[in-house]
Amino acid sequence: MGRKTIKYPVYTIALALYLFFIVLPVLYSLWLTVTDGHFIENIKTVGQDSIILLLKSSVLAAVIAIISTFFGIILGFLIYKTSINYRKFFKVIILIPLFISPYILAVAWRDILLLFFDKIENSNSFFAIILVHSTIFIPLSILIIGSALVNVSKNLEESALMISGFKRMFFNILLPLIKPAILSSLVLVFIFSISEFSVPAFFSVRVFTTEIFTQFSAFYNHSLAMLQSSLLIIVCVLLLLSERKYIADSPFLSIGTRGKTTKLYDFKSFNKIAYLILIFSVFIMILLPLLILLYQSFKDGTDDFIEAFQLLIPTFGNSLFLALTGAILTLIFGFIAAYFSEIYRKKLLDSSLLLLFAIPSIVLGIALIKFYNRPVLNTIYSGVGIIIIGYVAKYGFIAAKMLENAIKQIPKSLDEAAKIQGIKFYKRINSITLPLVFPAIFAAFMINFLFCLGDLGTTIMVYPPGTEIMPIKVFTIMANAPESLTSSMVLIVFLFTISIILILFSIFRKIFTAYNVNY
Amino acid sequence: MKLKPINRFIIPIFIFYIFIFAGCKDNSNSVVVYTTVDQVFSEPVLKKFESQTGIKIKAVYDTEETKSTGILNRLIAEKGNPQCDMFWSGDPMRTVVLENKGMLYPYISKSAEGIDEEFKDKDHLWTGFSARARVLIYNKDLLKKEDVPQSIFDLTSEKYKGKVAIANPLFGTTTFYLAALFSIIGDEKAKAYLQDLKNNNVVIATSNGDVKKRVVKGEVFCGLTDTDDAFEAIKDGDNIGMVFLDQQGIGNLIMPNTVSLIKKEKISDNAKKLIDYLLSPETESALSYSCAQMPLHKGVKTAKNIPSPDKIKPMKIDYIETAKKLKEIQNYLKKWVEKQ
Amino acid sequence: MSIIKLKNISYSYDEERVLDKLSLDIEKNKITYLLGNSGSGKTTILRLITGLEVPQEGNVYIENVLVSIANSLIVPPEKRKIGYIFQDLALWPHFTVYKNIAFGLQNKKESDIEKKVLDMLDFFGLKDSANKFPHQLSGGQQQMIAISRALVLKPKILLMDEPLANLDIKSKRKILKYLVLLKENFNLSIVYVTHDHREAFEIADDIVVLNDGKIQDSGSTEKIKNSDNEFVKDFLEIEDD
Repeated sequence: MGRKTIKYPVYTIALALYLFFIVLPVLYSLWLTVTDGHFIENIKTVGQDSIILLLKSSVLAAVIAIISTFFGIILGFLIYKTSINYRKFFKVIILIPLFISPYILAVAWRDILLLFFDKIENSNSFFAIILVHSTIFIPLSILIIGSALVNVSKNLEESALMISGFKRMFFNILLPLIKPAILSSLVLVFIFSISEFSVPAFFSVRVFTTEIFTQFSAFYNHSLAMLQSSLLIIVCVLLLLSERKYIADSPFLSIGTRGKTTKLYDFKSFNKIAYLILIFSVFIMILLPLLILLYQSFKDGTDDFIEAFQLLIPTFGNSLFLALTGAILTLIFGFIAAYFSEIYRKKLLDSSLLLLFAIPSIVLGIALIKFYNRPVLNTIYSGVGIIIIGYVAKYGFIAAKMLENAIKQIPKSLDEAAKIQGIKFYKRINSITLPLVFPAIFAAFMINFLFCLGDLGTTIMVYPPGTEIMPIKVFTIMANAPESLTSSMVLIVFLFTISIILILFSIFRKIFTAYNVNY
Repeated sequence: MKLKPINRFIIPIFIFYIFIFAGCKDNSNSVVVYTTVDQVFSEPVLKKFESQTGIKIKAVYDTEETKSTGILNRLIAEKGNPQCDMFWSGDPMRTVVLENKGMLYPYISKSAEGIDEEFKDKDHLWTGFSARARVLIYNKDLLKKEDVPQSIFDLTSEKYKGKVAIANPLFGTTTFYLAALFSIIGDEKAKAYLQDLKNNNVVIATSNGDVKKRVVKGEVFCGLTDTDDAFEAIKDGDNIGMVFLDQQGIGNLIMPNTVSLIKKEKISDNAKKLIDYLLSPETESALSYSCAQMPLHKGVKTAKNIPSPDKIKPMKIDYIETAKKLKEIQNYLKKWVEKQ
Repeated sequence: MSIIKLKNISYSYDEERVLDKLSLDIEKNKITYLLGNSGSGKTTILRLITGLEVPQEGNVYIENVLVSIANSLIVPPEKRKIGYIFQDLALWPHFTVYKNIAFGLQNKKESDIEKKVLDMLDFFGLKDSANKFPHQLSGGQQQMIAISRALVLKPKILLMDEPLANLDIKSKRKILKYLVLLKENFNLSIVYVTHDHREAFEIADDIVVLNDGKIQDSGSTEKIKNSDNEFVKDFLEIEDD
């Protein structure tokens, strides 16, 4: 007596769209790689050297992942779990490095480091990469770990505090409870770091991604580059899958159905130290590079700043539009993937998001071009559609991941109770699930918005001729432009992004109150 | 606690988007240009063309400097259905890559009549204009006038050990330079020279701009870069000197910009107009002011201190040959860079 | 007359057999207790009756209508006229008490909804709490809200999954008394799952004792009290401590 109609139309439609518009292009270009006639020859080229390089890159990325996660735990705890003053301010300000192009931070840091070292090479340059990547990815760790910390039920901590001191509680209760988040942070930072290209290139360190880049840009050997990329993709997918397996097996904390509050700590005597740590981190991660940029922007007066502003004006509208659209669509796909994978165990969409996430930007860009650049699909390729497709492909997984964790924390009985009462599927999602995961939706939206707004790797490959997009403009103008102009542009991007973040925060706060999220 | 607000947000947004997507297309009177010339220099020229002719420029800018992956990859990936009408390259090498892939379409521009034949493709697939030269820049605080190297072969001397910078030879004009060197002095000599350079602890910078930065900051005495970077450094008031190399020997490399039509079903007339405009003496003059490029037309008004190519002894090279050479030596160069 | 009928039901979860060819009749207008240790399959039976799960083998009937067959739902949960009180109550934390109860009343006039909800709250003496959130109420009050939420849709069957486990004895007694009242006032058949036989003996009409997915004994409270079944005797004794 099976039902003839499609059981989950939303899921099926989303899956079909995703498979056709995003997965198919990638498979198509892989197919081209295999069938281009040089496949065997290329396989031979990807030899021992590549493996050694991949190992080296992995070690580097692992170090960065560990450092970021370590600081993510400390800072995440201070910002999300203490009653320290101005924690909301820190919560926002600490996100800043996420939306500055890594290349720009690398430039700023090189100037800072040159104050301490004669020159940057060899061991120095490894240190520089670790430093720059860590400052970029610590905010990501803070976000992942912070949101897990917030969701730890007060009871669990308090019952532990009854029988032991804070220190024991922290290491034996709190940390183990957020283990899934810690693991997520490690894996995500590792993947971001190992696929990031501009910083090692800038510090002249040969890593796996620069090698892929060389194949693309010096040898124009797309097939070999694709082949090398697939090694990287395999490593990333394996990591993500094992992380997923672990998370699926680990106990998950639930939002209490009888009310929930986060326990905030107040260490009276320790507060000063906490402040020092926070201020020091903000200083290193944000203020120092900002100061350098400020100095470079204004050392010769304000002319360049004004010019930079004029150059960027046409990009504001476009970039905002693209990033908002990207973030919304990413969120929709992410939510559908997360919801159906958690509630109905339909994993295919979620797994495709994961696969796409592991693909380096340039490979994705080339794949999209090869598939979409044909007369039939010209409407998509010659318009902004292709950029949006790139965003969804690249960042859908992040949204899905953040939402999955949130949906896991909602007891299933809440949905079932409504189901028994005859509440229809969409109303259940709209009234029960969505409001309960609203904080996660907001976080996912913000992160994706920032990623889309700053995306360079894929966008630069596919943006329609003549379209003015903020990160691209900064990047292309940067060559041979005076330092003050470049720095000014970066500063303006900074200011622009921060104001958008603040506006979005205030809009969402209104929705939060309307939905009574802070029950 | 109505749940409607979320719909109230979403629905208008989508309607709004549909309008935007629908209203996005406007291809009436435009031309699509891909250029590898730095946007700071190319954009003003293109904008001027736009305002003079009313033809809308749709440009894709890119640059090796910032290590993005390059327009050329995009052009090659788009080969099946080219979006680009016209390619403006900062050097002939990348154009030749496209030529070899059969992606260019011949065009003879009237504006190019005054330009020497040696800067044009025999099959008219591309035309050169405004040129840069490969030069040595040095830090006047660190090198006395008599110590300034006059030939690239001086750079292997002990007194410059660890104090000479060149950009990564796998990318951009440095590749071109080395390919030219290989084809002029022969593989064996060139390899020996590069080995000596390596033994002399040459600093490999990420880009020509990076070479400039290192010389300005005094990290190295001198380095090889292009005239535009050199003039930029001099203009900024830094203590920088510039030398045309090997005037007594093999000569100095001259690299013209090139323009070419991309082969596609419908060759755009606008693209031809743009080529005519770029190849005109006015554009050459403008580029001499903005980025110190040397006009290839005779008698063009230029910025101060811009030498005429006539005054420089050029390296005698054939671009197609050099491009072939480039392909041959690339693997060698890659190993050379990677060797500690 | 039986209102719920399970016939030869088997159900496995993660390859572990939870119910094994179980058949069960539940009488109309009675309070039936399913007694058993945790893991005995009690909750699964409730979920099969609601239609939140389907059996791998066997049929489920409600009022003599076939509602589930092997691996397939015939009547979806919302059409079965069943109220279900979850073990964790599943009150929606972001809704007020009023909204929690009113949420299931769809396609009705606002004034009708209001009357129904307030009547319900009045029945339990909780009218003042209408605008509070669930977490602002005591455990006993939360129970009553959960029951109200189920009853406002006028179900014929009320299934309760051990919801009173965490309550103090006084509140528990109070709610048990309400259940008897409800059975009569609302013409309800109640199926109640617990491991506490003392609770069962207080108000049950019928009792079913389960172990390892199999019925050990079933019948009236008196019958179970005097059961010959070894497991039942044991079970009642241990719990007496």
